[in-house]
Amino acid sequence: MNRLMALIQREFIENRGAIRTTPIVIGALYIIGALMTIWTTVHFDNDLYSFKEGVRMMAEVPEETRGALIYGSNLLGGSLLFTFVLSVVIFFYLLGALYDDRKDRSILFWKSLPASDTITLLSKLLTAMVLIPLVFWAVYVATQIVTISIASGMVMYAGENPWTLFIALGQPLKAWFMVLASWLAFSIWALPYYGWLLLVSSFAPRIPLLFAVLPPIIIAVLQVWIKFLETFTFSGNLFGIIGKWFANSPLILSADEGPQRVIVSLGVPITSDMDNAVTIGNMLDRLFSQQMLAGLVIAAVFLTGALWFRTRATDN
Amino acid sequence: MTNVIEARGLTKRYGRSVAVDHIDLTIPNGRIVGLIGPNGAGKTSALKAMLGLANFEGELKVLGKDPSKQRAALMEDVCFIADVAVLPRWIRVSELIDLTEKIHPKFSREKCLKYLAATKVTQDHKVKQLSKGMVVQLHLSIVMAIDARLLVLDEPTLGLDIIYRKSFYTNLLNDYFDEERTIVITTHQVEEVEHILSDLIFIQDGKIALDCSMEKVQEDYTELMVRADQAEAARALGPLFERVLMGRHIFLFQGGDREQLKALGELHTPSVADLFVATMSQGASA
Repeated sequence: MNRLMALIQREFIENRGAIRTTPIVIGALYIIGALMTIWTTVHFDNDLYSFKEGVRMMAEVPEETRGALIYGSNLLGGSLLFTFVLSVVIFFYLLGALYDDRKDRSILFWKSLPASDTITLLSKLLTAMVLIPLVFWAVYVATQIVTISIASGMVMYAGENPWTLFIALGQPLKAWFMVLASWLAFSIWALPYYGWLLLVSSFAPRIPLLFAVLPPIIIAVLQVWIKFLETFTFSGNLFGIIGKWFANSPLILSADEGPQRVIVSLGVPITSDMDNAVTIGNMLDRLFSQQMLAGLVIAAVFLTGALWFRTRATDN
Repeated sequence: MTNVIEARGLTKRYGRSVAVDHIDLTIPNGRIVGLIGPNGAGKTSALKAMLGLANFEGELKVLGKDPSKQRAALMEDVCFIADVAVLPRWIRVSELIDLTEKIHPKFSREKCLKYLAATKVTQDHKVKQLSKGMVVQLHLSIVMAIDARLLVLDEPTLGLDIIYRKSFYTNLLNDYFDEERTIVITTHQVEEVEHILSDLIFIQDGKIALDCSMEKVQEDYTELMVRADQAEAARALGPLFERVLMGRHIFLFQGGDREQLKALGELHTPSVADLFVATMSQGASA
């Protein structure tokens, strides 16, 4: 267990820039954006007259509508940029995870330590599934606390009570919990995809990005080519399957509590089979679905492959 | 258990080419073994098999374990410096020591810091800021702080200047080696290690060309230096190898009657380098 923690710590040190600095930059952008808005308002709005008027109008919106708007657009919505960048960071982290130390030959040092290849692979998978989302989440929550404080100060200046106006109605604790739950649920959902990236990372002789992206494209193109003149359906195409998988994922793709379907458009629209409302029940629905089971089987195949290559990997 | 490494019919193929060809090898405890051979002879392939870094055919036991299946367990008692500069470049020295301490149960931070104190490497340095020689000093400090039973060094001083190379082996002998430990070294710079070796293994074309202790080398092999007029007489005694140096003929004999040889010219103990060249040229002509 200590060894596993040490290996995860190693991943953090090696990728400190991507794991820690990136979310801090995004958080800083949000905060700077908020401050610039205030500065602009103060500059153009004499005595903040229009601003105060706006706050008063907001206070007149029915509580239920106001709460839903703040919860969905501001609190959950504030996670969307984090979610997007998080997925990019994990993508590149996993592509390099079993490749970089082969390239710089430091694999010969890591393999001289008494840590098995299995525990090494596990440490990299857990870094992508748990550590990176947790760090992003901590920065997301910190960013929201700062922006909520800034907004509260402004609202108090306008003579309203920020607690009753928006904080209590928006349920920030629930929103933050939902974001974390959805990211972690996505980590499980994404296992076949993460497994594929680790597999590519374990064998690619160079440029793992190409090895990760080219095979699906080639297969999809071949499928189109073979089936084009037959009865072509997009749902049978690999892109259709991946698009459907993404549309079904428990990630927050829209921020609303009501039942709805998400449409992912990749040339042809793909509608999710499942209810995309942001609730724990919907996340669990996915994690205990047949699709998840199929995903786990695919993930197991990919990860076994990655371990096979890692066991045989040296510096050449 | 007295044998650290035991190999029977150890073979390593890369596609059709055979890098290691049915090697039988026994390395007992408490020895310093030089594994010497020309480029591409199969030294590194053999070492990689012993360290669990490559699969192989045949039987191989290192400290009683199968390296291809039990690498992680084996690495608690085996250390290796594979080549210069394989430490991760992004890491800080203090972080490297922390991680090694957490991952390796037999690593002593105190010892490591003591060895490092004798160098210019500080804990705040990142590996990429260090010179090649300093990286090797750092790696050696880490490895010597591990209470291992077998240390494998594959060209450990490649690309280092003479001062670093000398102190590398001095440190190794004075601070690390004892009867409980075994060291296996491959190197091209035979002259530098010959004084510390207890055993000699020559590898040529994936096969073992010579495997004997240094005492036996001194007993069995004699170098005879004669003037040109005595060359025919010396040649008649069946030398392994002959070379000419500044008008003198130098012959290498295996066994041979010392009294008889002494009558022809000067006798010397051959250097490992000369023995190596003689053995290799024999293997090539055979």
